[in-house]
Amino acid sequence: MTQLVFGLDTFGDVPEDDDGALVSQSAAIRQVVEEAVLADELGVDAIALGEHHRPEFAISTPETVLAGIAARTSRIRLGSGVTVLSSDDPVRVFQRFATVDAISSGRAEVILGRGSFTESFPLFGYDLSDYDVLFDEKLQLFVQLLDEKPVTWSGTTRAALDNADVYPKTESGRLTTWVGVGGSPQSVVRTAHHGLPLMLAIIGGAPERFAPYIDLYRAAADKFGTVAHPVGMHSPGFIADTDEEAKELFYPRYKVIRDRIGALRGWPPLRREEFDADVEHGSMYVGSPDTVARRIARTVERLGVGRFDLIYTSGSLPMSARLKAVELYGTKVIPMVRDILAG
Amino acid sequence: MTRNFELGLNSFGEVATDDNGRELSDAETVRLLVDEARLAESVGLDRFSVGEHYREGHNDSASAVLLAAIATATERIRLGTSVTVLSTNDPVRLYHEYSTLDAVSNGRAEVILGRGSATESFPLFGYDLADYERLFEEKLDLFVRLQREQQVTWSGTVRSPLVEQRLHPLMRPGGIPTWIGVGGNPNSVLRAARYGLPLMLAIIGGRPQRFARHVELYERALEQEGRPVQPIGQHSLGLVADTDDEARETWWLYWRPVVEQIARERGFYAPTRERYEAEIDDGALFVGSPETVANKIATMARDLRLSRFDLKYDVMHLPRASRARTIELLGREVLPRVRELLATNPVHA
Repeated sequence: MTQLVFGLDTFGDVPEDDDGALVSQSAAIRQVVEEAVLADELGVDAIALGEHHRPEFAISTPETVLAGIAARTSRIRLGSGVTVLSSDDPVRVFQRFATVDAISSGRAEVILGRGSFTESFPLFGYDLSDYDVLFDEKLQLFVQLLDEKPVTWSGTTRAALDNADVYPKTESGRLTTWVGVGGSPQSVVRTAHHGLPLMLAIIGGAPERFAPYIDLYRAAADKFGTVAHPVGMHSPGFIADTDEEAKELFYPRYKVIRDRIGALRGWPPLRREEFDADVEHGSMYVGSPDTVARRIARTVERLGVGRFDLIYTSGSLPMSARLKAVELYGTKVIPMVRDILAG
Repeated sequence: MTRNFELGLNSFGEVATDDNGRELSDAETVRLLVDEARLAESVGLDRFSVGEHYREGHNDSASAVLLAAIATATERIRLGTSVTVLSTNDPVRLYHEYSTLDAVSNGRAEVILGRGSATESFPLFGYDLADYERLFEEKLDLFVRLQREQQVTWSGTVRSPLVEQRLHPLMRPGGIPTWIGVGGNPNSVLRAARYGLPLMLAIIGGRPQRFARHVELYERALEQEGRPVQPIGQHSLGLVADTDDEARETWWLYWRPVVEQIARERGFYAPTRERYEAEIDDGALFVGSPETVANKIATMARDLRLSRFDLKYDVMHLPRASRARTIELLGREVLPRVRELLATNPVHA
């Protein structure tokens, strides 16, 4: 089996400084660049940045930040998590990521998805009722663009293309492309249909409940005669020296953002017991390096995934604590998970 | 004006060749641009800008992404576009990209809005060239408002409306320096004045002095609008080498096939050597030794009241060694010489 891949994911949450004051969104972006540089130095395999259009999150154009990271790093893979393809233009997405790929000598990976937020639809003039057709058509066009040959395409979601060639071309001839899925079986099947790797967003509850999706992906790929790639997953968490410290840093800040988003989605406020239960056996990887490593190893083993990404920022976690979490992930958690799984 | 005359570089992401005449790949060219921007900073140039094109041999289709890489590879040089094709972009997406670039570069982002002379982006993104004016006008209005106000309610015909919209990441107060690029259309000059935005003259052929009328029009219009005086810049093509002869021979070799191709596409005359020489002597090509190019830039600065000049230094297949030499000589020799000439004689005697 190929070596397990470890990543770090962030949406560019606006952090606190050492005095507890929120920094600017612009400083939040520079913080992500510094964290990625550190992760690269420590041998973390990948970083993925999500696209959002909300004040809590500073990243609305992941590839612009990734390009900044690309010029300062040498090994780490540079991904989005996710690029909201439905409200973007596949041609532009390709051009932007092919440019990141060029700058980074082939380290770009676009993760296409629909996102769990919907702000981008009104912002870019799309109707949420077209949710399915937008993603379906645009993914199809993107897959055509991946061949890096002139494209002829027509559909309902953008202007037709007649033998259009798109630049820059990549060195490998193919941009690494994943599809991020949050829990729609239809999306899993579609991903398998296109022969693309699957990234599961598991942001709550027992990770085991995603096992059927992985089975579905493999069965569908088998049926379509496409390749079933190693499946990736991302889940939230945080690492500090001790379990207590990690939870006390994480919980109050996570609760603020979780309740703010929950209010929009009609969820009741988060209770501490729920959080503790999720840390214990759900999808919150919060604790000391030892605790987080054991939890990740268990999930990886149970689901048989080939990649685990930790969403290491949720809420206004202080900048210094975030850097520390990146350091602990690279120096302790990753080697520990590898040891456990080898043992 | 002479105190801070600014000299910069423009690239359209054109594919270079190496020392053996091998064509670089698209990706190698992209990485070359990052190295060239770093070199430009090290020799003291003020600005590095990239264009936006959608054709083979050009690698500047994602301008902001390219500039963001340059941003973390440099510390001081300003990062701009030349030009951003506003009509076929979404001002909201542009705001996101350039506020992010401004963040990554710690406040060094700039933009020039225009049409450019290539029109590939219209069919590629589903626009009709016939709508050019309306697209530009409405989108400029929105882009300027997004930068000057923090929350925007807007409606028009060229994109979906916005209601009390805030964008993230938030740009610095007042926005980033936003110039208007013009190729000779007086209406574009008046529009720049109406918005109180600085003016970039794209002069790619003929006697540059004919733009003096545009400059007068612009300054008069600014005054009538009650707007403060704004900087004026010029963008032109060229190459600097150790001697005039070397510069002329090198540029001719690579510039000629490009112009022949464009002449075929757009239906005008192919270049002759005589026209080429005339273009260098009295026209819009800045090709020569450092002294020749410095003199020519200083003359333009006086004639057109410029405080900024951008040299477009890449032309298809030009060897990377020649590109590097242009950058070095421009920063080390041309820039100090232009400043010296303008300090001695800020205006014509």
